[in-house]
Amino acid sequence: MELRPRVLVTKIGLDGHDRGARVVAACLRDAGMEVVYTPPWQDIPAVVKLAIEEDIDVIGISSLATDHLIVPALIEALRAAGAGDVAVIVGGIVPDEEVPALIEAGVAQVFHPGAPLARIADFVRSAAARVRATRFPDAR
Amino acid sequence: MPHPDRLAAILAGERTALARAISMLENDARGAAALRAALRGRCGRAHVLGITGAPGAGKSTLIGALLGAFLGRGLKVAVAAVDPSSPVSGGALLGDRIRMGSHAGHENCFIRSLSARGQLGGLSASTGAVVDLLDAAGFDTVIVETVGAGQSEVDLARLADTRVVLCPPGLGDEVQALKAGILELADLLVVSKADHPLAGRTAAELRDMLALRRHGGAHPGAGTWQPRVLEVDAAAGTGLEALLEAIEEHRRAIGCGRRLQAREAEADTADTAALCARLAARDPFVTSLGGEFAGARPGAAEVALAIRAQHLNFNGTCHGGVIFALADTAFGLASNSRGRLAAGIDAHVTYHSAVHEGERLLARAREISRSRKLAVYRVDVERADGTLVAAFTGTVFITGAHPAGEGTSSRSAGGA
Repeated sequence: MELRPRVLVTKIGLDGHDRGARVVAACLRDAGMEVVYTPPWQDIPAVVKLAIEEDIDVIGISSLATDHLIVPALIEALRAAGAGDVAVIVGGIVPDEEVPALIEAGVAQVFHPGAPLARIADFVRSAAARVRATRFPDAR
Repeated sequence: MPHPDRLAAILAGERTALARAISMLENDARGAAALRAALRGRCGRAHVLGITGAPGAGKSTLIGALLGAFLGRGLKVAVAAVDPSSPVSGGALLGDRIRMGSHAGHENCFIRSLSARGQLGGLSASTGAVVDLLDAAGFDTVIVETVGAGQSEVDLARLADTRVVLCPPGLGDEVQALKAGILELADLLVVSKADHPLAGRTAAELRDMLALRRHGGAHPGAGTWQPRVLEVDAAAGTGLEALLEAIEEHRRAIGCGRRLQAREAEADTADTAALCARLAARDPFVTSLGGEFAGARPGAAEVALAIRAQHLNFNGTCHGGVIFALADTAFGLASNSRGRLAAGIDAHVTYHSAVHEGERLLARAREISRSRKLAVYRVDVERADGTLVAAFTGTVFITGAHPAGEGTSSRSAGGA
């Protein structure tokens, strides 16, 4: 049996625009993944605890109003908790000039508005497969 | 055995180790069987609280309120929340934990969302093993939330020590409350959303149902426990204290580890195969037909037959009665495989292609459903290349006895 990808779609910070996160969560579910979805306004410790307990491979952070700027802090917290292998992606409004800093901080990919859902699903699936392969090296 | 360090981390309740182990069990990945075996004998301490009810009944919200109370008493609490999987993509959107409130962040709380992965019955195939794991990891209470359940999702009955069925107000009339199924298995019936105008009426109907059942002597519950009806508004906390008291009272009355006793009563796979081999070997009809026992596990059995001249009809193809007999044999073994005598009361067959001399057929029986008294099986009769020859369904009546010649213990009856 395959190791099904486990993905968290969430929002951190104070921005409550969650339509995009819901669309992406539904798309990943329809692509055969197990998606944990939360409402917006999560804090970083809660996301880290959730990611560990749910054995999450990929975290998708949806950001419309500058919440992407606290994603580096999330990645730091994941590393500190021993979950630094989780792939973190960001989707939403991210100014082009701020993308390099996110990548530098460890973000695996940034998806801008208009990114095809199929491309997001493909990226998440392969990122999850890499995480699964290191966590379960002999699972077949 | 799992790696000793890994097992030690699990038993110590280490969060990452637990999460990985659950994924391993869910995916039946390499090492899962060894982990299950290692957990056996290390559990039975946790109180398993099952929460079920219709979609939208308020299961997650109630669990959020219970979490707050349990954590406030210093207990360590784990939640396994099962959500449905898509029949199309196999994917799932797991959203239960978002309604369990801020307690998810508490250090004594561990929540895991599970996809049902196509399994009917309200739980996923690995939920039992996940509960064992959380039990062995030292949680005082393990809460299991089922998929939004209908009237037949009764798997929880076998897994949980205390079974809470949520009944939202105004869903159906008193006839619904009389129907069989999930309501019969409740230890506690909770009318959720107790602030709703219809809540009192729903509670009254459920109490009438329980009273009728008591008078009819039909309550199948364990020992002296009488199911009761409570009204709870989990969002406001109304009625929560009474529910907590009732849960605690039931735990004291019934104890922990009901699922382990249920499992002991069922022979494990190796014992099952041995039992079915013995039953097949002393079946004169199967032997005279030439049927060969080909394997069994609890609820499933396979029987093979090489078609010879004596099996043919006047048209020169295999006689339908032979194919029926082969399917019926697999049906009989599968239905008796759990060590309880089961007698066929109904069977149907459809034939899909002609079979010729020299072909080898395999009948594969599997359990579709099983309750205390009745079980239904499907048997596919196939050629070696997997093409379907006949499809058979059969129903058995389950008695309290052991299969003939198996005495009081199927383990000690070997060599019959």
